[in-house]
Amino acid sequence: MKKKLTANENISLQRHAGLSRRHFLRGLGVCLALPAFESLLPTRLLAAAVSPEGNLATTATGAPLRTAFVYFPNGAIPAAWWPATEGTDFPLSRTLQPLAANQKQIQVIGGLDHLNAMAGMDGGGDHARANGTFLTGVRLKKSATDIHAGISIDQAIARQVGQFTRFPSLELTCDAGRNTGACDSGYSCAYQYNLSWSSPNTPMTPEANPRQVFERLFGAGGPGERVENAKRRRQEQRSVLDFVMQDASAMEHRLGSRDQDKLDQYLTGVRELETRIQKAERFGDVKDPMVPTPAGIPADYAQHIQLMYDIMVLAFQTDSTRVATMLLAHDGSNRSFADIGIPEGHHDLSHHQGNPEKIEKITEIDLFYVQQFGKFLDKLAATKDVDGNSILHNSMIVYGGGNADGNRHTHVNLPILLAGAGGGTVTPGRFVKQGGKPATNLFLSMADRMGLKNLERFGDSTGRLENI
Amino acid sequence: MDFRTVILTVLVTAGFTANQVAQAVDAAAADEFKKTVQPVLEEYCYDCHGDGENRGGVALDAFNSSTNFVEGRDVWWRVLKNLRAGLMPPAKKAQPSKEQKELIVQWIKHSVFLADPLNPDPGRVTIRRLNRVEYQNTIRDLIGVDFDAQGEFPPDDTGHGFDNIGDVLTMSPMLLEKYMVAAEEIIAQAVPVVDRVPPEQVIPGAQFQNGADGGNKNFGPRSLSYYSPAFVTNTFSARLAGQYQLNVDLMVNEKYVDDVFDYNKCLLIFRVDGKELLKKDFSWEGGKPYHFNYDQDWAAGDHQLDFELRPLTPGLEQTRTLSLQITGVTVRGPMAKENWVKPKNYARFFPKDVPETVADRREYAQELLGDFARRAFRRPVDNQTPDRLADLAESVYEQPGKTFEAGVAEAMVAVLASPRFIFREESAEPASGQPYALVDEFALASRLSYFLWSSMPDEELFQQAAAGTLRENLSAQVARMLADKRAVALEKNFVGQWLQARDIETVPIEARSVLAREQKFDPQQEAMRKRFRELNDKTVELTQAEKDELASLRTTLFRSRRQPRADLTPELRRAMQQETEDVFDYILREDRSLLELLDSDYTFVNERLARHYGITNVVGQEMRRVTLPPDSPRGGILTEGTVLAVTSNPTRTSPVKRGVFILDNILGTPPLPPPPNIPPLEDALKGLTNRAPTLRESLAVHRENVLCASCHDRMDPLGLALENFNAMGMWRDQEFGQPIDPSGKLVTGEEFSNIKDLKRALVKNHAEDFYRTLTQKLLTYALGRGLDYYDVETVDQIVARIEKSGGKPSALLAGIIESAPFQKTRVSSPATAEINLKPDQIVGAAGGTTKERL
Repeated sequence: MKKKLTANENISLQRHAGLSRRHFLRGLGVCLALPAFESLLPTRLLAAAVSPEGNLATTATGAPLRTAFVYFPNGAIPAAWWPATEGTDFPLSRTLQPLAANQKQIQVIGGLDHLNAMAGMDGGGDHARANGTFLTGVRLKKSATDIHAGISIDQAIARQVGQFTRFPSLELTCDAGRNTGACDSGYSCAYQYNLSWSSPNTPMTPEANPRQVFERLFGAGGPGERVENAKRRRQEQRSVLDFVMQDASAMEHRLGSRDQDKLDQYLTGVRELETRIQKAERFGDVKDPMVPTPAGIPADYAQHIQLMYDIMVLAFQTDSTRVATMLLAHDGSNRSFADIGIPEGHHDLSHHQGNPEKIEKITEIDLFYVQQFGKFLDKLAATKDVDGNSILHNSMIVYGGGNADGNRHTHVNLPILLAGAGGGTVTPGRFVKQGGKPATNLFLSMADRMGLKNLERFGDSTGRLENI
Repeated sequence: MDFRTVILTVLVTAGFTANQVAQAVDAAAADEFKKTVQPVLEEYCYDCHGDGENRGGVALDAFNSSTNFVEGRDVWWRVLKNLRAGLMPPAKKAQPSKEQKELIVQWIKHSVFLADPLNPDPGRVTIRRLNRVEYQNTIRDLIGVDFDAQGEFPPDDTGHGFDNIGDVLTMSPMLLEKYMVAAEEIIAQAVPVVDRVPPEQVIPGAQFQNGADGGNKNFGPRSLSYYSPAFVTNTFSARLAGQYQLNVDLMVNEKYVDDVFDYNKCLLIFRVDGKELLKKDFSWEGGKPYHFNYDQDWAAGDHQLDFELRPLTPGLEQTRTLSLQITGVTVRGPMAKENWVKPKNYARFFPKDVPETVADRREYAQELLGDFARRAFRRPVDNQTPDRLADLAESVYEQPGKTFEAGVAEAMVAVLASPRFIFREESAEPASGQPYALVDEFALASRLSYFLWSSMPDEELFQQAAAGTLRENLSAQVARMLADKRAVALEKNFVGQWLQARDIETVPIEARSVLAREQKFDPQQEAMRKRFRELNDKTVELTQAEKDELASLRTTLFRSRRQPRADLTPELRRAMQQETEDVFDYILREDRSLLELLDSDYTFVNERLARHYGITNVVGQEMRRVTLPPDSPRGGILTEGTVLAVTSNPTRTSPVKRGVFILDNILGTPPLPPPPNIPPLEDALKGLTNRAPTLRESLAVHRENVLCASCHDRMDPLGLALENFNAMGMWRDQEFGQPIDPSGKLVTGEEFSNIKDLKRALVKNHAEDFYRTLTQKLLTYALGRGLDYYDVETVDQIVARIEKSGGKPSALLAGIIESAPFQKTRVSSPATAEINLKPDQIVGAAGGTTKERL
């Protein structure tokens, strides 16, 4: 019954592809069927081809070394989070139970602090600070509009290793909506809804829609059409980019310094897009993962989280990026967990004031987030890398939050764990107490392992972390 | 120009540094201070903030002759706010007279802020990126495409509660990429790239009818139920004979019901002139679209198109209201080239035929693109712009196989991706030596259109600006713009954010838990809770039986599911949002008193919302204004469903959040954020063993603590006055079996016994606070920047104008539009302005200062 399209229809279909495809995709299943790794191997690893020293974001065995930072909101009930004893073969705590299958690949790190998230002279606003300080390690400027944080560790790493992948970094979130009204205690909302910062006043807006992340990574259209679509888009973009680059430069000369910052942000984006076009020409297209594009944001929160984690796995698998951040929900999130029988708001509950029912519910929410992370680790562990190890082995993934005890807004002894073996450069399978060091010391040690040069300090770091 | 401005100008021109200037001004101001202001402060303030006392870290006598007032600006700004709000001196202390208060206010404005009432500092707005709403509306008005920016772009960051603040509208590489992709998709959708296509006509589903129903709908789809037979038909009249193509678009719909499935099936037959083209079974496939294409060789004249639906499963349970939607049938043809026509939209983008010669084509491209760029950039473009765009178009259409139209379309993509489109660049009139200059009329046109319409200026505004007559005709233009339907943006975006009405769409409210609080005390439930706590608190290992019991209790207590008797359905949420918008719209359009936002004898409801509010005799879906009975607690924003729900937690009301909402958005005196270490309140409530404490009881414990009381004394009475409204905004008389006591006393002294009293008190005693708050919020929104100390003068002038008018919205809007910050911009920073350091780009550098901006 179905006939071949006329040439004219074909044109019309192509021209409307962008807007009709959403319609078309509705009704497809929500979870990605992750393809076998072999089919996605890049034709040539960019790092091996370009890195002069060979060790930037690369393991000793020549595989890509990846890092990711996953943030969960409102702290964790300390009694249920921390394992009872230190060392190897530590007993998993109640909250960390879902990681049992990968216990040998995780390192629970105690005694890491973010002193810059404490009130100091700034008064209230612990959620904004917890969130905005987490990867930056700096004291945020308390202002609703004059935002000033610091570059975040993922971006510091991406600056040096981003050149080897099509995307220097990937920023994701599962916070789809945004409330109106002022945010936390006089802090701009930017601090609370962004984890990643490319400069003190440029947050890297995270993406919440799995369809859009997927299309950005692999191109629009169905399986098999994406490479062609991406190619056509690149062709169109090239001439447009030339034009807008000239416009932006001319405009920048006409503007004051505040305004120039905005144009700088625009130009940075244009340059990044140009670089990606050049990379595609030099190194070929990304392999089409040949799975259906996700339809959009699933109504079910757990499915949304899994879909975003799946895309992170795919991005690592295809070596599309080696740096990623994921803001599960902004600190202070008052999400209702009715799906797991907890209708109250997460933030409201987290100020439990010792009420055992509330503590129980919060523990269940903490557990829910760790369950989701556990599934992510399962997938990374099951995916083989070029050197025969798992992708999890060749990764360093921080899972943590900037509030320790959500009830009291503390920022010392933060719940933080490091998953993956960093390609053999870290020793997981342990619970290590670091005894009160800045969390940025951990980040600095991770940056070292990513092969970063000339990063002496980061945020409020006081040195490297021994014994990871 | 007053004497301070003179001193300033003289010193600045003489090359003195900012500090030297400030010191000179300070000396003059200090003199005045000693004579007039200090005695008042001594009498009413120094008990706590002077003579060695510095409560809250504020000692006003620290600012004496040797100290720089201007540097103490933030402290004096707080003094001014607290004095005006009646927060200081505290209600129980001796109060300065009205004249004394005014003296201090004037002194702060003129000697500390150095404000010049005749020439207020307009400040400076950071260049604004279009936010999602503005982008979407601008695309609609520029190109006629309904682009889903909410779905395609990430949310914009907000500051001061609004999403149109230049400083906070940042741009990441990801967003830049999205702008590029959006530009391509929008142009691809709107601009035809060929000049001839087969004629096409869409027959919407609604036009398929059967004689009996005689429907008169002409647009939209038509739905046929799976459960009953149906026959609908339409007659298409073909003007010419030839090859035609029919595209049939269908979709399966359902009404989702949790945990039940609907196994019904139906058969659909599609006939053309009696001949069956489609005969297919459909089952439950919620939301799935179907497309079928057929070629037809038609004679000229009428052709009958029929759909027949036959239920296939009579007797099966019908649980999900399955239906087959006929979206429409597209008839395309005749396909023979000689019958082709210009595509839809062709004339809109290509008013002439494409010229023959290369030179003429280029000239045509320049003309088209120059005009498009002018509208897209919202101001005249330089001569190079059409040239460069034509270069781009030419580079495409000179390629073999590419049309002229495709080249022009490509250049249009570049226009939409340009920073000149994405950002709102402004120019100013010549300043002629003044520190402030008027923005030019094109910038003014954009300021107006983005303020009132959240969109680009229309052709009339452009023409006024081009002729230089916009400022002359300002009030007529504003009236015209407000009458335009685009002005709904002001309600959607300003009111939607000021009153947080937008959040009603997504605020999580758990009806079951909310309603459970209104049920009578259940001893069995409470016994279970007690047992749960007992088991959970045990420090020794539980026995297996105890573990099972704990698990079962956990399930029963926290996981049980029952259908609630009322719920915030999407339909109800929409009605609530509409109510908030309609009330504002009515007051604005009828130019009624702004105080009706606080208290009125009417509101807007439809049947569903009326039922929710307990209002009778409202039938039908459409919203309408109803006059409320005298004893009704509704009327005014405080008791609107939106406000009541968005200030609640998912399972309960939050008097604290409601109190903060009123302080922040109505009275303009937001409390300080809570301190870092909140002491546990449990112990104090342990006395109540037979029932859960009410919120009033819990909050009373707060206020026993002096530290907490300083703010909770302000928030709690306001929030508790609304306790008769649950988290869904429904009226209730009791919670946990305890009657609700809404009475209280404002920190400024007025007592009230219920919400009606409170509303009256706000209108009677706090009108000026409300005018000022609304002015500040609307000015922030209109300017796209946070307000600073130098805006106090502007705000005061607008508030005075509102008061003089008797509270008219027209005075508020005109006051804002005619104000210095709306009309002007700083040419160069005045000597006292803060020095903006370029942000440190060093990796890992500590950011920010610890100084708090108030």
